[in-house]
Amino acid sequence: MLQALFSHIDYVAVTVLFCAGLYIMIARGNLLKKVIGLNIMETAVFAFIVTTGMIDGGDPPLLEQGLGPDFASPLPHALVLTGIVVAVSVTAVALALIVRVKREHGTIEFDELGEPR
Amino acid sequence: MGAELLDARPALALLVSATGAGLIMLIGYRARLRAWLAVGAAVLKFVIVWSMLPGVLAGQVYGLTLFEVLPGLALELRVDALGLFFALVSSTLWIPATIYALAYMRGRQGQRRFFSFFALCVATTVGIAFAENLLTLFVFYELLTVCTYPLVIHEGGLAARRAGRRYLIYTLSGGALILTGMVVVQHLAGTLSLSGTGILDSIDNHAALLAIFVLLVAGFGVKAAIMPLHSWLPAAMVAPVPVSALLHAVAVVKAGVFGLMRVVYNVFGVEHMRVLGFAGYLGLLAGFTILAASVIALRQHNLKRLLAWSTISQLSYIVLAISLLTPAATLAGIIHLANQAFAKITMFFAAGAIQRATGKTRIDELDGIGRQLPAVMASFTVAGLSFIGVPLLAGFITKWYLSLGALQAGSGGYMVVLALSGLLNAAYWLPILYRAWFKPPAGVAAAGNTSPLAGSAALSPMMLVPLLICAAYVLLLGVGAEAPAMPFVLAEAAVRLVFGLPGPAP
Amino acid sequence: MRALAAFADWPHLLPALFLLPLAGAALLPALLRTRPAVAWASALAVALATTMLAVLALVRLLGDGDYGYAMAGWAPPLGIELRYDRLSAITLLTGALVSLALLFARREMTGAGRRQAVLYCSLVLILLGGMNGFVITADLFNLFVFMELLSLPAYALVAMSPARGAALAALKYLLPGAVSSLLVLFGIGVLHALTGSLNMADVAVRLTPGGPSPATVLALVLISVGLLVKAALFPLHFWLPDAHSAAPGPVSALLSGLVVKMGVVGVVRMFDVFGPALGGAMQAFENLLLILGVLAILTGALAALVQHELKRMLAWSTVANIGYIFVGLGLAGSAAVSGGIAHVFYHGLTKAGLFLAAAALVERTGLHDIDDLRGLGHRMPLAATALSAGLIAVAGVPPTAGFVGKWQIALGALEAGRPELLVVVLGGALLALAYGMRVINALFFRAPVSDQVVTASEAPASMLVPSVLLVALALAGGLSGARVIEFILPFAESLGGR
Repeated sequence: MLQALFSHIDYVAVTVLFCAGLYIMIARGNLLKKVIGLNIMETAVFAFIVTTGMIDGGDPPLLEQGLGPDFASPLPHALVLTGIVVAVSVTAVALALIVRVKREHGTIEFDELGEPR
Repeated sequence: MGAELLDARPALALLVSATGAGLIMLIGYRARLRAWLAVGAAVLKFVIVWSMLPGVLAGQVYGLTLFEVLPGLALELRVDALGLFFALVSSTLWIPATIYALAYMRGRQGQRRFFSFFALCVATTVGIAFAENLLTLFVFYELLTVCTYPLVIHEGGLAARRAGRRYLIYTLSGGALILTGMVVVQHLAGTLSLSGTGILDSIDNHAALLAIFVLLVAGFGVKAAIMPLHSWLPAAMVAPVPVSALLHAVAVVKAGVFGLMRVVYNVFGVEHMRVLGFAGYLGLLAGFTILAASVIALRQHNLKRLLAWSTISQLSYIVLAISLLTPAATLAGIIHLANQAFAKITMFFAAGAIQRATGKTRIDELDGIGRQLPAVMASFTVAGLSFIGVPLLAGFITKWYLSLGALQAGSGGYMVVLALSGLLNAAYWLPILYRAWFKPPAGVAAAGNTSPLAGSAALSPMMLVPLLICAAYVLLLGVGAEAPAMPFVLAEAAVRLVFGLPGPAP
Repeated sequence: MRALAAFADWPHLLPALFLLPLAGAALLPALLRTRPAVAWASALAVALATTMLAVLALVRLLGDGDYGYAMAGWAPPLGIELRYDRLSAITLLTGALVSLALLFARREMTGAGRRQAVLYCSLVLILLGGMNGFVITADLFNLFVFMELLSLPAYALVAMSPARGAALAALKYLLPGAVSSLLVLFGIGVLHALTGSLNMADVAVRLTPGGPSPATVLALVLISVGLLVKAALFPLHFWLPDAHSAAPGPVSALLSGLVVKMGVVGVVRMFDVFGPALGGAMQAFENLLLILGVLAILTGALAALVQHELKRMLAWSTVANIGYIFVGLGLAGSAAVSGGIAHVFYHGLTKAGLFLAAAALVERTGLHDIDDLRGLGHRMPLAATALSAGLIAVAGVPPTAGFVGKWQIALGALEAGRPELLVVVLGGALLALAYGMRVINALFFRAPVSDQVVTASEAPASMLVPSVLLVALALAGGLSGARVIEFILPFAESLGGR
């Protein structure tokens, strides 16, 4: 059991990180903290995707260096780059909205905000 | 059966009234224009529907497909003998009803909306009559509910709204039941067509057939006011008299029984129904309604409410006829569509005339009214005697054939029900007639009522003439029932279609 | 038709479906920042042009059948592939509805909201591009990208309402939305790890040998939960009432009519990806969708019944109708599935029309509550009639648009041997009729109680034309129901490799 855990330490780490982020999003009432939680979740997913391309002892996927039989897949890198861009955009929009919420309602604590309208 | 002919007339009949309704709503701000539009549409429609009579009597069937709503299911019109009968009754009665309504509603609020929807109702009624399949019938059936709603709540106020809400809840729930039944039929039979005599013939899933029967009968039974689904009808009496006349004589309730006819005769077919044995329950319900409604009618003080309960009772005559599944009974049922319509509308017209002329609405206020409004009461008398079943009047014809039909079906017990019903009818009509003709008028007119002597003069001929015509027709239906060109012939043609009997030589 | 067919053969038709609106969206703020009226007109032109492209795409389908496109000429499965099938015909709807929504907002664009006009138009165009791309892509990651491309403008658009709670509502939409996108990404990552491919068809083929392995199921769960949040299926619908009611009128129309349907389209695509691999296990998934759909119908309809606010009621109605769609999908017979997908189309039309009509009423009077709007039917007859007609259509009274899908689903329920579902299907319709009648009653049959109603005047043509047009289509849409069902049937039959 422990052996299985350690051999897949990357997946375990990702899961822990993801759940941590999710917990923050759900449990913390401060809007900024929720966004932070979201970012943590996003990081977890990106890490997961990158590690799926990893091969133990594989070469970096660079053409000039000459490619051996095993090289890390470059595709996940592209995916993650796109994902990061998306995540940044979402965070930016979220932050802009939070600024406006603060201006309109005077607080960014979920509990104090109550029902909209 | 004759060949099916593609003809625009079924759709035209519909469109005439619908266009009329639209025009009234858009430009009918002046009373004169409104009147011309309303009556014009009614007359035009009457002409179109009548024009199809010779063809249908000769065995012709007219059809027209409108839209294909779902694969294999279209909005389609088809004119056969039964449908034409219903359409004829409706469009014939629409003319006097419109003329009467124009007079009755004079000076009242919201006439544009009133007459617009009034015209729409007849359009949808004809749509029901000419429906080729259950889907088309359902669409127009629900449209009828929608179009009658503004009429029912016309008076405004709490009572009207309550009655309207009850009306909607009942009729829409009934609609939901019909829709459920329809889906099951479509699933089992693959079609919803009403052109044949039994689309469910090849199905032997007894439970499913029973479910379909219950759903469809209950669904249509709401408008047909079978007990216990009837209570919307007395409540709807808050509507103005022309609306009550419309609802309870011509359109809504007749649509309900017509739907039942289509279910039993075209969806199940008489043979299949006999084998299944469901119709017996329907007959029992009908018998119960006939008697119970009459008993409740005895205790009514308000004239219109009495008429409502009488309608509930009379409608179940038709339901009983449907359930007996014999040619004579079917004939009685179809004929009663016309008989009850003319007689009941006469009574409603009379009640409205009395109310307009003297402001009286209670039965105990009607003493001596025969002297004040002789024409009105004479008509009322004819109608009342017809319901009692006096020979030479329309109601007698119904009772005669219904009894024959009961005997044919071996359910002679229903003759007792009919006899009892006749007695009960006498019990509530005769006292009114007695009061009206033989009792002296009440003393000094109560405050707010018009002076007794001015009674008849206050009635516009536009209210009197329709009244007299309908009453005369009740007489005609009774005396000259079997003369050619009377509805009787058409009804016979319809019966032949239902039972697959050969027609008379052309 | 011949001439159209010639145009339809343009090889780059498919990418143009999303590139055109995106290009427009980029150029608008760059060139027309200071000319809001021109910007609005240009946006409308772009949206209309995109609709035309969608028509051409459909024409080609009708002539040649499903067809594809390899982005940048790189062949799949390595390259990103676009594929236009019968489900993609929904692009017609996206283009048309966006155009109409833009038209509706004309007053705002040239009036008080001038400053934001360009941004609004730009966002709407990005939304259009994102939706079109989402529906025609055959690549999983591409799907994710387009999903984000359509979600982000949606969040921002909700916040564009001047109302006080709008930003908060937008956040309440954004947070679950972002999490759901993340779940989808996670699932795609798992699929990629399992198969090494991102092309939907390729993944489906490569997954199959593994059968219903835990990893495959995990991927399905992740992606489904993510998509179902977007589709607002019970119990993941919690964000919808707030977001759709707080958004400005035309935005609500687009959200309820289209954006939410994208989640449905995504789930349908997943049937094709996971179906072959999971085989019988898909049944469990379908059953789950069915149960959730039933719950959605009931919750949505009952909640709608007790709402006071008009737009909130419409939002809950969307929840219920999404339930119908998933009941159809969950029943899995071709009749039911075709009914569900047809309902995607028809409900999109109807709900968009409804929200536009409601927005017309709300924005002219400044009142949101149904009870406050009593008697408005006489002051604003056209808009009120449109709203009423739309409510009848959404309830599914034959022969309106809502009827077609619901009838097919009811038939499908019987075919699948589940007659008890009839109660839910028809009960939901009755409830819909009930809340519809409530509004109609208030509008037409009650006396006014608010000053704003008494002094209100009819909505301008720019608001009336889109709403009346859509509602008229919704009413009459059912009349051509056979055609739509027949169109979708081949797709429904081939779903999930059946």
